[in-house]
Amino acid sequence: MRRQPTRIRRLAPIFWALIAVLAALALGVIATNRGEPVNSLWLVAAAASIFLIGFRFYAKFIAAKVMALDDSRATPAERFRDGHDYEPTNKWILMGHHFAAIAGPGPLVGPTLAAQFGYLPGTLWILFGCVIAGAVQDFTILFCSMRRDGKTLGQMAREEIGKVGGFVSLITVLIIMVILLAVVALVVVNALKGSPWGTFTIGATIPVALLMGLYLRYVRPGQVMECSAVGFALILLGIFGGRWVAINPQWSAFFTFSGVALTVIIVVYGFLASALPVWLLLAPRDYLSTFVKLGVVFLLAIGILFVHPRLEMPPLTRFVDGTGPIFAGKVFPFCFITIACGAVSGFHALISSGTTPKMISKEWHAWPIGYGAMLLEGFVAIMAMIAAAALSPGIYFAVNAPAGVVGATAHAAVTTISGWGFPVNVDDMTRLARAVGEQTLYNRTGGAPSLALGMAHIFGRLFDKAGLGQDIISFWYHFAILFEALFILTVLDAGTRVGRFMLQDMLGHVYRPLGRIGWMPGVVATSAAVVLAWGYFLYQGVIDPLGGINSLWPLFGIANQLLSAIALCVATTVLIKMHRARYVWITAIPLAWLATVTFTAGWEKIFSTEPRVGFLAHANALEAAIAAGKITASKLTETRAVLFNERLDAAVCGLLLALVAIIVIDSLRVWYGLLRGSRSNASTESPFVLSTLAEP
Amino acid sequence: MTTVSRIWQYLKALANELSDQTAYRRHLEHTGRTHSASEWRRFSDGRHQSKYRNAKCC
Repeated sequence: MRRQPTRIRRLAPIFWALIAVLAALALGVIATNRGEPVNSLWLVAAAASIFLIGFRFYAKFIAAKVMALDDSRATPAERFRDGHDYEPTNKWILMGHHFAAIAGPGPLVGPTLAAQFGYLPGTLWILFGCVIAGAVQDFTILFCSMRRDGKTLGQMAREEIGKVGGFVSLITVLIIMVILLAVVALVVVNALKGSPWGTFTIGATIPVALLMGLYLRYVRPGQVMECSAVGFALILLGIFGGRWVAINPQWSAFFTFSGVALTVIIVVYGFLASALPVWLLLAPRDYLSTFVKLGVVFLLAIGILFVHPRLEMPPLTRFVDGTGPIFAGKVFPFCFITIACGAVSGFHALISSGTTPKMISKEWHAWPIGYGAMLLEGFVAIMAMIAAAALSPGIYFAVNAPAGVVGATAHAAVTTISGWGFPVNVDDMTRLARAVGEQTLYNRTGGAPSLALGMAHIFGRLFDKAGLGQDIISFWYHFAILFEALFILTVLDAGTRVGRFMLQDMLGHVYRPLGRIGWMPGVVATSAAVVLAWGYFLYQGVIDPLGGINSLWPLFGIANQLLSAIALCVATTVLIKMHRARYVWITAIPLAWLATVTFTAGWEKIFSTEPRVGFLAHANALEAAIAAGKITASKLTETRAVLFNERLDAAVCGLLLALVAIIVIDSLRVWYGLLRGSRSNASTESPFVLSTLAEP
Repeated sequence: MTTVSRIWQYLKALANELSDQTAYRRHLEHTGRTHSASEWRRFSDGRHQSKYRNAKCC
């Protein structure tokens, strides 16, 4: 590590004292303010100062004292350099690369949904969850993988905890994948339902991606950035084309779909995308979505800094008591599983033990890459919270609350929501829907439309400051929907393909040809199995009268954070084996917290007697209603399907809890043996090799 | 180099890395081959095969 000049070192304590004062002041303002709306810059100041302190002091302590990072030790990138997977890379470029890989729809949608509790609980969880849990998990897993030749989380779980741990983590990842794909597909379906503009714009990205794939392969091979620029121009044209479609009665009718019709379309699309060659659809859209994602996040940051909107949402709403319209359940534990990716996400452990450890050139680079990139993700989550909380609460709830809770008509919805103390009226909602080019904005559950509204509001005001006017707010709304859908569809394509590989790996042990990735019947059968699995959960979300998000998002949050618990079990085991048992609290505290939160949430989702919270209670209520003849004949089949789905969700939730309980108990057994000395603590680290690499 | 040009260089390098263009350049250097349509296809097929065996994050 380079030492700073003496003068800067002398001033450092003053600088950090000022940062600490700013952190305390900003936290004080956002936590204690009541009545007056808070300016969003206080959230930005709190995030910047807390993340800086966490990065400089806590993460550096972990790097120096616990991990004992050593730049003289050759990394896998240096030892196995092959020009492909293993390649020493500049730390800032790799940090950008790692951030692009971990940032997805989660940190945008989770905080938007959690804003129903008010902005305070979600914001505090993002700030402290990131510093103490999320960034620590990403950093320690990156370190573990880097010291083990770039091994994956599954391989490390098998080697450090045992065969049971390895197998259980594989099954858990597959289940999480299915739930994740269903929930992100539901976000897209709910955003496009009854929206010809949105449907045309998103639909247009498919031929654009195909065109890009062909262009890149046959017309201008290797010119990815040029091709992405052309693709970006074409999808912008798609937004304008969507506007034309929306105002043309024939085309508008052609592109208006119900939720169920969109489900069928997206399932068929998922199957084809998983079976088509990667270069034709998935890869070109992945390039495009990565650039758009980074560009929009950057633009949103600029927008928030310049516009610095006031937070219209109160710090706490009445829904902390568990009666929230978007999803039911008390602030503890549900706020902490609703925001997963912005605070702590098990999925990041897969990235931290994937490409990144194979590209780190010096061990100390793991500090900004593993820890720092997660803090950037926390910033994205804070921006999403600001975008949601800057909306008028009445509008926020009218957009996000399902018809099953607030009523199916506009009048019923505004009456219910105004009755909660969040005034909204039919005229305002109609004007807003017209302004963004939508037929209606009621009951658009899933988080994407309200996030798009918040972003459009910020972008509109930013460009208004630049003199371009707010009259293009409809463009920004659909641009934001496009931005979200673009990378959600990429997650869907890639996830289906990865799910297929995992299933083939497993089934290959039963029937060998199924394990061959080139065997067409196997490819078709496993692709269909994965697509049907997430498609089924998507369908149940679409027909759910409570909006689907109420059951699926908590299930996803529980699953994702249980994966994080597995990652922290691995990291804790490694620390004990490294003779760092006195520092084991670094991973053990977040592990204990996540285990408490997820097991409490899981237990409540299965066994709560409140039908909107507990899967079984809702199933029993529906069964009683059917038995009492309260369900009309036309609704009977659908109600029976919902009843079955609730029991299925309870079983999936129970299975996830059981699988993770097995890993935690297995880990405790291993730790006990290691600490007592009855178990070998032979290091699984790769041997030390002196680095000869100059800093790239 | 000014701060602005340093940031611009960084953004260019990041975009090249994200678009696999740097990886392709490394591939050509490592194998001693020259750029051609078929070489790009060979490279991108191998690259995609390893890249899309990993899940995209949520």
